[in-house]
Amino acid sequence: MHIVFVTGASGTLGEAIIERLRVHAEVAHIFALTHRSAVPAGIEPVWGDITAETDLGLDARTAEKIRSEATIIIHAAANTRLSAAPPGARHANVGGTCNLLNFAARCRKKPRVIVLSTVYVAGRRIGTVYENELEHNAGFVNAYEESKYEAELQAQRRMGELPVTVVRLSTVIADSEGRVTRLAALHHALRFYYSSLAPMVPGSDNSPVDLVALDYAAKAIVRLALDGQVLSTTYQVCGGTDCLTLRAMLDLAFECFVRFRPAWRKRAIERPAVVSLRTFELFVRSVEEIGDEGLRASVGVLKHFAPQLAYPKQFDDSVLRAALPDLEKPVIREVFPKVVRCLIECGWELTRPVELACR
Amino acid sequence: MSRADAFRLVSRHGRIGCVASITVSAIGISHIEYELPSEAIELEELHLRGLLESPPERLRQFGFARAYLSNRPGEEAALKAAHRLMQRSRVPTRDVAAIFYAGAIPQSHTVSGCGSGNLFNYPVAQLQYELELERATAIGISQVGCMGLNSAVAMARDFLISNGHAQHVLCISADVLPPGAKREILYNVISDGACAVLVSRGCECNRLRYRRQVTKGYYWDSVGKKNEIIAAYFPTAQHLINSTLEGAGLTKDDIRWIIPHNVSRRSWEILLDLVGLPIERLFTENIARVGHVIAADNWINLRDMMERKLVDSSDKLLLVNFGFGANWACAVLEY
Repeated sequence: MHIVFVTGASGTLGEAIIERLRVHAEVAHIFALTHRSAVPAGIEPVWGDITAETDLGLDARTAEKIRSEATIIIHAAANTRLSAAPPGARHANVGGTCNLLNFAARCRKKPRVIVLSTVYVAGRRIGTVYENELEHNAGFVNAYEESKYEAELQAQRRMGELPVTVVRLSTVIADSEGRVTRLAALHHALRFYYSSLAPMVPGSDNSPVDLVALDYAAKAIVRLALDGQVLSTTYQVCGGTDCLTLRAMLDLAFECFVRFRPAWRKRAIERPAVVSLRTFELFVRSVEEIGDEGLRASVGVLKHFAPQLAYPKQFDDSVLRAALPDLEKPVIREVFPKVVRCLIECGWELTRPVELACR
Repeated sequence: MSRADAFRLVSRHGRIGCVASITVSAIGISHIEYELPSEAIELEELHLRGLLESPPERLRQFGFARAYLSNRPGEEAALKAAHRLMQRSRVPTRDVAAIFYAGAIPQSHTVSGCGSGNLFNYPVAQLQYELELERATAIGISQVGCMGLNSAVAMARDFLISNGHAQHVLCISADVLPPGAKREILYNVISDGACAVLVSRGCECNRLRYRRQVTKGYYWDSVGKKNEIIAAYFPTAQHLINSTLEGAGLTKDDIRWIIPHNVSRRSWEILLDLVGLPIERLFTENIARVGHVIAADNWINLRDMMERKLVDSSDKLLLVNFGFGANWACAVLEY
C-alpha cells in the first residue's frame, strides 16, 4: 500500500490526480499540499510552500510524518502563468522543484518522485520532440517554459540519486466530456475568437496544436506513479499523432460556435488570419501602444502562448505508450467540440455550475 | 448595350456577409479634383487644442503629421472641387447624367446655415444647381462612412451600365467635422476636405476592372464595438483583398500600386504583411501630408499619383477602403 504526497493539490491537475488516488486500491493515505481548507474525505491536507527551502514550509511534525511515511511524491505544484515574469516563474518552478527534490532525498522510504513538467520545455524547437530529448539552445516563448526546462535539468541531475520520473504534459484542455474547471489561455483565446477580439494568430495552417484531456492526463500520471516498473525517465502525456492543425482547430471552433449557438452565425465574424510571428508581434506592439483596455486584454493572453504556434512541433509519446499500452486516449477531435459547447453554455463564466452547463 | 458595356453581375450571400461583385470594362475614372482647406495644423498644435486622444508622438509613429481643418461648410469645398473638375474636363454640363453626393457624417447632408428647421435642404441639389447640371439626376449617399465616395463611384458605374445613353456621372464627397470635434478616430488623424470624381463611359483610363464590397452589420455600433472593429478589420480586409484579386483574375504580382485610404501606416504594415504584398507598393506619402480625409483618400491619392506620373499605362491599381457601417471594399483599377 502506498502513502502519497501530492504538491499542487488545489490545481486543476492536482485535483484530478487526487480524485484518482482516492479511489485507488493501492493507496492507503494521501497528504495533499493545498491552499484549500475543504478537501475530499480521505485526504490529509497539509499547508506549506514549495518555495520554502526548509521542509517546503511544512510544520516540523508534518514534515517528519511525510518523510517517514511517503512512498510516492507527485510534484504538481507550479507557477503555470504563461505571463509570469522570469524571477517569479523561476522561483516557483526551479526553486520549488529543487526544494521538493531535497525534501524527497531525506524521505526514509526512498519514494518515487513524479515531477510534472510541460512538453513546451522544447521552447522554440521545431520538428518532432522525443521524450528522451531535453537540452537545446533554441530559446523559449515565455518564462514559464524556460523555468520548467531548468526544473527538468535539476530533476535529471538527481535521477542517479533518486527514483525521479518526469512527466511532461501537453495543453490540458478539459476532461474528455468537455468539462472545464478553470479557464486557461486556450479557453480565453476561444472567447476572443467568439467575440471578434482576436484578429490573428501566428503560425501556419499546418502548425500542430497538441491538446490533451484532463482525465487522460491524470490517469496516466497515477498509473506511472503506482507502477513499480516505471523507470527514472521522461514520459510525454500529449496528443502526439492525434492533434489538430491550427487551421483545423480554428475551423472546428467556428463550426462549433455556429452549431451550439446558431444565432452567432449572423455576426459573420471572420476566422482569425494565420500570420507570421513578425506580423503578430507588430499587431501586439500596436495594441500595446494604443493602450486600449479591451484589445490589450486579448493580446495580453494570446501573446504569451500563441507564438509557440510559430514553432511547429510534434510531440512523440512512444515511451509512454510502451509503458501504458492499454491506456486509452480520448480522440481530441471529439473532445474539442464538447469543450467549446461547455464554454458557450456557461458564457466563459465558470462560477455557474459547469455540470449543468455542459450537460 | 455596346460590347464595351458588357458586364457580369454576381450577387451571392457568402459566409462573410452580403457580397456583390461586378466586372465591367470601358467605364473609367476620367478626372479627379480635390479641395483641402488652406490651414493645416501640425500634431502638436492639435494636441494643444485638445483635438487628439493619443499623444502626438504615437500618432507620428503611426505615420501622421497634420490635419486640415476647415471653418467653411463642406458643400463649399465640394463646389470648388466639382467646379474645377468640370472646367478642366471640358465635359459639357448637359452630358453629366447624374450627380452622386456622398457624406460620411449627418451634417454633410444638410446645407449649412439653414437653421435646424430646414431638414430637407440637401447639398446635392444645391450642387446640381450651382454647377448647372440641369440634366443630372441628383442623389445623396450616406450611412457608409468613409466609403461614401467609393460607393458613389461604384454606383456611378452601375448607373452607366444600366443607362445606355448616359455618358458621365459626377461623384462628389465632402465632410467637415463640426468645430471642436476630435480629430482622431480609431487612432487615425482626420482632415476635412472634398473630392470630385468623374466616371465616364468609354474612358480607357482608370478602368474599373473589378470591385467587391463586404458589409458586416454586427459592427454597426462604431463606438460600442470599437475593439471588435479594429480586430475584424484585418482578417476581413485580408479575405477581401484575396478574393478581389481572385475575382479579377490577377495575382499579387500583377498589382503595381496599392492606393490606400489614409489610415495609420502601422495598420497598413500589418495588413500588407498579412496579405503578402510589399509595403513598397503602397502609396504612403499622403498619410502624413494630408491625413485621413474621410471618404476621399483613395481618390486624392490617385490624383496625386497621376500628377506625379507614378502610374503608367495598364498599371493595375488596388484600392482598399473601410467605412463605418461596417463596410470593407476593394477595387481593381487599370490605369
